[in-house]
Amino acid sequence: MTRIIVMTSGKGGVGKSTCTANLGMALAQRNQRVAVVDADFGLRNLDLLLGLENRIVYTALDVLAGDCTVDKALVKDKRQPTLGLLAAAQNRNKEAITPEQMKALVAGLAPSHDFILIDCPAGIEMGFQNAIAPAKEAIVVTTPEISAVRDADRVIGLLEANDVKFTKLLINRIKPKMVQEDQMMSVRDVLDILAVPLLGVVPDDERVIVSSNRGEPLVLEKQLSLAGVAFNNIARRLLGEEVPLIDLTATHDDLFSRLRRFLRGS
Amino acid sequence: MVSDNSASTALNESVVDPDMPLADSSVPAYPDTPQKPDAEGSLDGLPPAELPSPAPAPPVDPRTQLRLRSDGDHLVLLLPSGPQIEAEGGALAWGELLQHFKQRLNGGEPFWQPNTVVHLAARDRLLDARQLQALEDVLTAAQLTLKRVATSRRQTAMAAVAAGYSVDQLGAEDTLVQSPPAPGQPLAEPLYLQTTVRSGVEIRHPGTIVVLGDANPGSSLVAGGDILVWGRLRGTAHAGSGGDRDRYIMALQMQPTQLRLADLVARAPDGPSTQYLPEVAYVGDGAIRIAQAQAFARQHFDATLGQGAQPTDAF
Repeated sequence: MTRIIVMTSGKGGVGKSTCTANLGMALAQRNQRVAVVDADFGLRNLDLLLGLENRIVYTALDVLAGDCTVDKALVKDKRQPTLGLLAAAQNRNKEAITPEQMKALVAGLAPSHDFILIDCPAGIEMGFQNAIAPAKEAIVVTTPEISAVRDADRVIGLLEANDVKFTKLLINRIKPKMVQEDQMMSVRDVLDILAVPLLGVVPDDERVIVSSNRGEPLVLEKQLSLAGVAFNNIARRLLGEEVPLIDLTATHDDLFSRLRRFLRGS
Repeated sequence: MVSDNSASTALNESVVDPDMPLADSSVPAYPDTPQKPDAEGSLDGLPPAELPSPAPAPPVDPRTQLRLRSDGDHLVLLLPSGPQIEAEGGALAWGELLQHFKQRLNGGEPFWQPNTVVHLAARDRLLDARQLQALEDVLTAAQLTLKRVATSRRQTAMAAVAAGYSVDQLGAEDTLVQSPPAPGQPLAEPLYLQTTVRSGVEIRHPGTIVVLGDANPGSSLVAGGDILVWGRLRGTAHAGSGGDRDRYIMALQMQPTQLRLADLVARAPDGPSTQYLPEVAYVGDGAIRIAQAQAFARQHFDATLGQGAQPTDAF
């Protein structure tokens, strides 16, 4: 049974594509046959994050036009041959395809894959409707900011109404230090509002930017960063393993910060 | 000796911000606020269920969403009257209507048996075959069977016949009557929802709304009757939208973005609150007030008890 998962958030810039690239890669490293589908027509960038830009020959639109088969359009990753990317067309916009066509595309990929991750564009318009149409599950990505959480809440409601029944939450770019100092919403605060099962928490990490620019997902690094470990754990949870959340506070709970918290009276 | 007559001062810890003007003068600041100056402001402790029907012609019409009503051995699905919505991009409006209806069905505790028959009261709304099909899909997912369509539009009737439903075609004079005779009672049966009402979701209902779950920021509840939230109320709530001030908004945790009772508006004070006790919002002295549920119940629902002799603490 192929698991078709849409990665969505409502708000832009919370890290949907980064999470898709890293999760796809982490799943592929665990011998899963993974296809990542960029549904962001006109503003594609999943190919950049995976470093596959210069190898794209056909896009999803070419498949729909009948110019090539879906397997031929799939760009295989050299580092992880079980990972394939179906790129969006950059020269068109979101109205170029319909939810039915998106379903057909994914149905073509389903038999030969274990996981299909759909990278959803920001917003709740046509592009969103296209991206969620084929999905059975959803991962809602949010950051601990009220605007992102509000949009995530809206999106979860829309997913429920559109028969995507299994929604999980990924909280991205959390800064443990700020949470401890009560300057940022905590994981618990976010869960309190959204009330969906938590899939994982990814700490804010400057190395994410470096890895994006290089086109090498974090999980490929030999010396994994904390964010890379978090992505690996999320992939393991997706595969059904029970992995505890990493303790992000450990590095910040030194004598100095304890003293400061004590002085602030909390 | 405990006297409940003195409770009013303790109750009236108003949530209304000091810089928030009183209700009547706040109308310009909220142009969408319904105005119903002749609404009664009395709070004589009547239980909500026994209150007379609210004023006619509600300023905020809660009947702009699809809703189910039970009628003997079947359910009636009421469509809101169409023309004005069709005028501004019918397809989109229809999609949103259907979306709201689905969200409501998902959250509603089914009060019907599987495979209950549904009669569609389409009134003067124009429906094509695809819209009928979409509606049937939604109903089928909720284990309901669409059997009969009542409409006053010829094209809708044709589409319904082609799709194989029984059709009641109503006369043209029915089109002119805005509200149908059947749902004439202004206060409908309560709407019970077991769900999280999320941002962007708007629940409109002519009767009382009961939510078992949270109402998140960005959500909106509009009821002709009372609103009860067994959870956190963090969105906007408007009770007595027909202009009835004798309505209540109750929540286990009252952290609303905005409260509206009939034609009055209030917002929560800035800054996080530390205490979370069940609270009730009501209209007192022409403004929205908030009281702790226990104290409120003592004063308003047990009014007859208050008239008798009060037990001492020793008992």
